[in-house]
Amino acid sequence: MGTECRADAQLSDYAARVLEQVAVAPGCRLLTVSSPGLARAASPGQFALLGCGTGYDPFLRRPLSFHRVDVKRGKVSFLYRVKGSGTQWLAERRRGDVIPVLGPLGRGFRHSDRGKRGLLVGAGLGAAPLLFLAERLSRQAWSLTVLLGAPTRTGILRADAFERFGTVRTVTEDGSTPKKGTILDLLQEEINRGGWDTIYACGPRVVLKAVQEISARTGIPAQISVEERMACGLGACLGCACRSASSSGYLRVCREGPVFDAGEVILDD
Amino acid sequence: MIDLSVEVAGIRMQNPVLVASGTFGCGEEYSPLFDVGRLGALVTKGITLKPWQGNKPPRICETPAGLLNAVGLQNPGVDAFIHEILPVMKGYGVPVIANIAGFTKEEFVEIAERLTGTGVDGLEINISCPNVKSGGMALGTVPELAAEVVEAVVESTSLPVIVKLTPNVTDIVALARAVTDAGADALSLINTLLGMAIDIKSRRPVLGNVLGGLSGPAIRPVAVRAVWQVSQAVDVPVIGMGGICRGEDALEFILAGATAVAVGSAHFRDPLAAMKIISYLEHYCEENGINDWQKLIGTAWKNK
Repeated sequence: MGTECRADAQLSDYAARVLEQVAVAPGCRLLTVSSPGLARAASPGQFALLGCGTGYDPFLRRPLSFHRVDVKRGKVSFLYRVKGSGTQWLAERRRGDVIPVLGPLGRGFRHSDRGKRGLLVGAGLGAAPLLFLAERLSRQAWSLTVLLGAPTRTGILRADAFERFGTVRTVTEDGSTPKKGTILDLLQEEINRGGWDTIYACGPRVVLKAVQEISARTGIPAQISVEERMACGLGACLGCACRSASSSGYLRVCREGPVFDAGEVILDD
Repeated sequence: MIDLSVEVAGIRMQNPVLVASGTFGCGEEYSPLFDVGRLGALVTKGITLKPWQGNKPPRICETPAGLLNAVGLQNPGVDAFIHEILPVMKGYGVPVIANIAGFTKEEFVEIAERLTGTGVDGLEINISCPNVKSGGMALGTVPELAAEVVEAVVESTSLPVIVKLTPNVTDIVALARAVTDAGADALSLINTLLGMAIDIKSRRPVLGNVLGGLSGPAIRPVAVRAVWQVSQAVDVPVIGMGGICRGEDALEFILAGATAVAVGSAHFRDPLAAMKIISYLEHYCEENGINDWQKLIGTAWKNK
């Protein structure tokens, strides 16, 4: 029951036409739709709710963050993993099909005015919202290093796309990339090297918690993109709760998030 | 232009399409998407006496043709509601019905008293929330206890009193009769069905609260049945809800005996669901030459 106002006149349920659907890794798809209004309105870190199926099963929409946005051509891309019936339905959409896309939703990444050296941490599918961010930051002359980690090489997503916007470092747990280990090892190396103004992270909770801990320890501001089961996406149903660090209550991932300052939330297991 | 207006418990509405408690925030969340002032009435999220933080996540879980929720009445409390949320809701120019959730009879009375004279147009007594340990459904499954709460609230306020009933009982008609005899001006049917889901990977319950309330089209036949049974047994209007997604669904509830309907979970799938339902009802009346839509109420049992 939030009462704050926001000037989101462009928030709409867009009928987005599929332009392209590409398999980028086993089980991972890159869906590009045409939606000029949405493209104009979207900011990095924000998301949309995509309607899945024509009946009532699946019932809820699927929240997907903006992966790439091409304002000039009116194109919006989503990077997602086929996990259940909703994403399976999305994966079956072909060029010309129409998908209801409610957005843009939520509070995205914020610009810090500390400096323009950014460390982007994308664990697995956590790479999804970071490409849009990398593009916008590099346009503003940020110097970026992008860390991508996954259990195996096929889980490293979109490394080539990130290379246009900064230095990319990858790591896999099985050593199928030159560097073996976890993304937290890479993160620690970069922190030791120093010189970062802001950390931006998305991925599993264990990674986000490590980023919170590093941010608290080093004083480097960090922003984390949090995932939670979601229904309305608008802040009305209070379904997607995340514990607030500053009060005894909860924040809405869909409204106050999905991007939180690292110290803003307590991530429960 | 078809006149869909209706009066429920003395509350005048421009049409019979409301929003279900807990699914619509304070209206502001949906206002970028459509004119919230076109709804029949707004119904608030459950309001408790003191601020209430709700249950730990996960709070929702999709299920076949619906979802489980265990939000657990998160709200800022009645005083913050009156000062911060009510002015926003009143701004849409449609009646505001406050869903109130006490943990004891005395709390229900105190919330009702505080809301009286604030601009709220009616109260919906929530003795049917499955997601809190005391109050809620615990009060709403025993007719005598439910009647006691309703009687006390009716005595404490000049506002119309609507009672929202749980379907998680053996005999919903007995419950409906008890609260109607106690002075309820209208009934809301139904709250969610108690359910749960288990994650087969973690082998643990999905919801942080373990149990949750099932809503969505999956429960619609249960709700239609409740409206059918209760509307024949009591003399007060019934607001029907439970899985209404389309105009056809709303019409089904009206034919079953509902004087108004509320749209809830459907908003999560289609934020414009309520608007489309209003349009459907207008077109339906127009196409079928119906001048007084209220003649449709309960037609399914009146014509049997």
